[in-house]
Amino acid sequence: MRRFWKWTLGVFALLLVAAFALLSFMAGSPKDAYGMVRYALPHMHRGTLRVGDDAPDAKLVALDGASGFHIRERTAGRPLVLIFGSYT
Amino acid sequence: MEIYNDYKEHADFLTVYVREAHPADEWQMKSNVKEDVCYAQPKNLQGRVAIANDFIQRFHYPLPFGIDDMTNAANDAYAAWPERLYVIDESGRIAYRGGMGPFHYNPQELRGWLAARFGEVKHEEKQKEADGKG
Repeated sequence: MRRFWKWTLGVFALLLVAAFALLSFMAGSPKDAYGMVRYALPHMHRGTLRVGDDAPDAKLVALDGASGFHIRERTAGRPLVLIFGSYT
Repeated sequence: MEIYNDYKEHADFLTVYVREAHPADEWQMKSNVKEDVCYAQPKNLQGRVAIANDFIQRFHYPLPFGIDDMTNAANDAYAAWPERLYVIDESGRIAYRGGMGPFHYNPQELRGWLAARFGEVKHEEKQKEADGKG
């Protein structure tokens, strides 16, 4: 029985190493693989919005850091293209 | 930016700055170092505002701009991170929902939506190139 669990753990560890090696290859390096798992995956969400849904509102801050506005304040009259992103 | 210039007479544009994708203290890419885009993940709103302003100044970015606050409300509502495109129509409904970046972020798809709605905008240089290849 003990031998069975040792064997099972060994296979599991090997699979983990293989998975990480594959991810490293796909990401470009082990560092990138780690970065992807540690920092990217927790923040990546498919989301539930669909075409036809009411667009959610959210308050945004203007570039002066003090004033603000809501996304939905910009949606009257013409289509509004939203471009989400960051600098890095 | 070309899409903005082509369709700004027909649609409004709004860039929403969300949490950093590859900050120096998390998953920094080699390209960030090469292009001297090295910032830590902002820990407060002032940090985000500062980075957003750096971006605007470096690229002379002309599009209207808003910054997601530290609650990440916009990011969460639109599942935006790291980058995503949407179109909200005049009735306030989602008319186009782009794929999640980076691999499914597709500005040409957005252009296709705008072209279907407002007509295609052709550029002389690209048209000449296309004609030359044809």
